[in-house]
Amino acid sequence: MKNMAELTLAVKNISPRFVKAATLVIAACALAIAQSSPELPQVHLDAAGLAPRPVEELTGTTIARHYALAWRDLASALESGRAGGLGDEFVGFAKDRLVQRIGEQNQAGVHVRIVDHGHHLKAIFYSTDGSAMQLLDQAELEIQTFDGNKLLDTQNAPHEYIVLVTPGADRWYVRDLEEVSAKPF
Amino acid sequence: MMRTSRGDFTLCKRLTGLALLCVLPSWARAAELQVPASVEAGQAFSIPLEGSGQATFYLLGPDHVVKRSVSLGSELPIQSGDVRTAGRYQVIVCGSSCTSAGFEVKAAQPAHLSFFLHPSRVPVSTPGSIDATAFVFDRYFNLVLTPAAVDFQITPASGAGFSRQVSTRHGAAWMRMDSTPHEGRVQVTAVLGNVEEARVIQQVAAEACALRMKAVTSGDMVTLETEPVRDCSGNALPDGTVVSFTKIDKAGKSTVDTPIKKGIARVQFSVRGPAQISVACGVVLGNEVALGGKL
Repeated sequence: MKNMAELTLAVKNISPRFVKAATLVIAACALAIAQSSPELPQVHLDAAGLAPRPVEELTGTTIARHYALAWRDLASALESGRAGGLGDEFVGFAKDRLVQRIGEQNQAGVHVRIVDHGHHLKAIFYSTDGSAMQLLDQAELEIQTFDGNKLLDTQNAPHEYIVLVTPGADRWYVRDLEEVSAKPF
Repeated sequence: MMRTSRGDFTLCKRLTGLALLCVLPSWARAAELQVPASVEAGQAFSIPLEGSGQATFYLLGPDHVVKRSVSLGSELPIQSGDVRTAGRYQVIVCGSSCTSAGFEVKAAQPAHLSFFLHPSRVPVSTPGSIDATAFVFDRYFNLVLTPAAVDFQITPASGAGFSRQVSTRHGAAWMRMDSTPHEGRVQVTAVLGNVEEARVIQQVAAEACALRMKAVTSGDMVTLETEPVRDCSGNALPDGTVVSFTKIDKAGKSTVDTPIKKGIARVQFSVRGPAQISVACGVVLGNEVALGGKL
């Protein structure tokens, strides 16, 4: 009983200081995460003339944001070799393939650094029921390939991707990401 | 102070030329990494490697990375399993220096259809109410970007079937159609070569049409009963569809919602004095019945 009383007193004394300290730690962590997380690449979505369904403004904004998050996570995962870094933006074939690629990169001791100069997305198909959207992504990427610390190659050419995105509860997922021969911008 | 005579200058030019000749072959070799511009997914091919000695070969694809030692001056076989996924691939060969080239793997022949039919239930005779979307994939589940003709074959429960052919664009084909006049299941099959995917949609009766009721009084009670509730195409509305009866009399206004059972809706009211009763189903108003004279 005496112990309980001491404990209660101790908690009473420590609690305000602890709460203040914890708040500071959380704030510091949040600040550190915000500072350490790479910037989102620029994504511009053009949905003019989209068929068979037009895209609502809010939907367009959400797609652009989550596509930017997807590329940030993709670049980070390919460089760090951590498939877990892919986040929640990829599903289906896109995720399976990236996870496999990262695994094999790690086995080979290779990694890739992507310097992302932005994406111009053109929405080319949006199903009537809103369950799938196809995008054409013209991306300006600088891709550096390393074996260990040795730079093997640098590619600095336009890249073009056909992207299939599908909606989830709170975001749009990248379900398929297929690079095709790019036309000059 | 250094001075260069004319003879020294000529010798210097010759040495520079010789040095360039020594350097140029390695540049030439760097430029001679010959890869095809594109290959079909799952097709093996080979890359000729010029030069001599050992080098390290890297192949980086969308889901695959290969690193191995190779002998220059030989053909480097690329296995079918190395190029199953469509997309851009990068080849890097590093000897004393690294050279790189890229090629595209394109999807193989169509082998799978991912087919969506929307909605799952639709009222009959509704313009533009059915949407069909098909994505075309090859056997490795690469989106087939080469245009292909998808045949949408529509088979209603009654009446003649029909089909629509749509060409894919960026791997997707879609079409919109009206629902047919009769209720029941409609099967839509997407066909591409010998690949087929079928989906079924249920057509249900549309809004009620010519809704009518009759009233039978017995003392203070009145029994109201609709005629069989049908849509304008003669399809019976499904049991469970709600029909609303509204009575206005001295006691005020009261509404009773009742489901259709065995094609008709029935309800019983107590009435005080003159009364006016109306019937409605969804957005459709039926006839009105006046009991005991005007209100």
